[in-house]
Amino acid sequence: MTTAVASPSDERDALLDQGVTGRSTWGIVGRLLLVAAFFVVLMPFVWVILGSFKTGAQLNDPALLVFTPTLDNWREVLDSGILQAAGRSAFVGVTTVTMSVLVGSMGAYAISRYKAGGGATRFGILAAQVLPPAVLVFPFLAISFTLHVNDTLIAVIAAHLSFVLPVVTWFLIGFFDAVPRELEEQALVDGLGRFAAFRKVVLPLVAPGIGASAIFGFVLSWNDLFYALILAPGSAATLPVRIAGFNTFRGVELGAMCAAIVVSIVPVLIASFFIQRRLVRGISGGAVKY
Amino acid sequence: MTGVSLRDVVKNYGDVPAVRNLDLELPSGQFTVLVGPSGCGKTTTLRMVAGLESVTSGKVLIGERDVTELEPKHRDVSMVFQNYALYPHLTVRENIAFPILARGGDRASAMARVDEVAASLGVGALLERKPRALSGGQQQRVAIGRAIVRQPQVFLFDEPLSNLDAKLRVEMRTEILRLQRSLGTTAVYVTHDQEEAMTLSDVMVVMQDGVIAQMGTPASIYERPQSAFVAAFVGSPKMNLIEGDVVDGVFRAPSGLLVGTPGVRPGGVTLGIRPEDVLLGSRADGWEQARVEIVELLGPRAIVSLEAGGVGLTAVVEASELASVTEGSLVPFSVRARALHLFDAGTGQRLA
Repeated sequence: MTTAVASPSDERDALLDQGVTGRSTWGIVGRLLLVAAFFVVLMPFVWVILGSFKTGAQLNDPALLVFTPTLDNWREVLDSGILQAAGRSAFVGVTTVTMSVLVGSMGAYAISRYKAGGGATRFGILAAQVLPPAVLVFPFLAISFTLHVNDTLIAVIAAHLSFVLPVVTWFLIGFFDAVPRELEEQALVDGLGRFAAFRKVVLPLVAPGIGASAIFGFVLSWNDLFYALILAPGSAATLPVRIAGFNTFRGVELGAMCAAIVVSIVPVLIASFFIQRRLVRGISGGAVKY
Repeated sequence: MTGVSLRDVVKNYGDVPAVRNLDLELPSGQFTVLVGPSGCGKTTTLRMVAGLESVTSGKVLIGERDVTELEPKHRDVSMVFQNYALYPHLTVRENIAFPILARGGDRASAMARVDEVAASLGVGALLERKPRALSGGQQQRVAIGRAIVRQPQVFLFDEPLSNLDAKLRVEMRTEILRLQRSLGTTAVYVTHDQEEAMTLSDVMVVMQDGVIAQMGTPASIYERPQSAFVAAFVGSPKMNLIEGDVVDGVFRAPSGLLVGTPGVRPGGVTLGIRPEDVLLGSRADGWEQARVEIVELLGPRAIVSLEAGGVGLTAVVEASELASVTEGSLVPFSVRARALHLFDAGTGQRLA
């Protein structure tokens, strides 16, 4: 009798033990993998940050972790007007993204709701991305000469719009697809016009998408070297152009370049940090019961 | 109070007709239910009244106003969708107040009205929550609150109960009816559920393939369906429909089943018998035999599936009469002679 009663619970305990140990073994392996991945991702950042405080000689020893830091690189970089270049890059990025979000959200809405331009637009909008930038940059240069905007930020913004706007639009289409049509129709019946319904009901629901696409678009613009280098290499040079400028005819000024790179990655990290919470928020939870 | 009229309304999607030459007068202050199988044009009709769907031709009137070309916001209607369509980024309070505020109403009085409406629907305690924190039934109440907050001329309901479980559905059905009665507002309600249509409607409109199959009170439609389609659609369990021929005043099914139909012209006929008009018993005088296939007990009554001469028949009988009815056995059966429905086999139309 006793065995009959005891055995099932013993069996269950054994199974439970097995389950727990199994889970924790895999848990440990998983954690280790995560830690390893973390270091792999972190490594370049660490190297660049340390590099920005090293002298030229110290830079030749990548394994050197303990050293007397120098601020020479930072002095040189700040004197070279890197902050002004960063300011120009930020201006180009913010302007490009603002215009892209304004136009792209409406475009994406039209494509999502009204199949504007037919079924091909949905992906066709990215067609320009297939072309190598080298194909587009010379027409851009020729046009900017004709319009007398070469070596100005206007030329750079125009070029950046050519790839940021389609990407932002394409990115937002899926978010608009996910907003139930009934919500808009409800808003129309409840007393809003078409545009007001779009602005007050649809846009708030795609806000996480807009945030994500804005960050994404900003990074694309912020990191662009090719267009900026050819369209505005002189007084209106953006940050990547200036960073590339440390690759001089005397060789690469690695320390200064590291400092400049730090200047270029910090704003993006900060922006991502503040917006990430909005990115992960569900977009229309509770709107509709499926 | 204002009724709704549709005058010769046509709606085509490309070449596909959804609604054909619809003439419909929905009486003021009444609860009208549009019912039919999916694709019959009932939802399209409702959406044309709301202004969410344009009409291909014809006119839509609310009261004496021609609203055919008006935007939804100018039609003075409110609508409850099947999935409630609550604004997920707004609280319950803001959701209910939306129709007032969207029309530029005064905020303070809107909030007072919201409190009043929410209390009457029992969602007063939920006002500061977001819709996703509510149960299905609560979401439904909020959606109804939003519909009644601004006393519109017409309420439109598009299958509002379909997403609720059976028990809640019956509860909300009663509640919607109580609300409509107390407000006296014209209501148009779309459903594919004939039981919902029967219980809710003052006027019931059965639609089929974009036209009205029959319109009237639920009782009149149930008692005197004008076509085999309506007969089959309205009533649960479904009416028995048997194909056959009338020869010399006797209906004869190919399987051999005979039913006396005096005075009916000879020819192809579909015979309709409501399940409650199929009588089971022990009296064998002139009755036929049927085999009992399945007995489904509902409590006071039971649904009995029979097979008589190769024809399936459904009967509804009192539970007290089940003593002699066991699955597999043979029972004598008959039909109430006065309760026969006869339809033309070709057109499906009722024969007088």
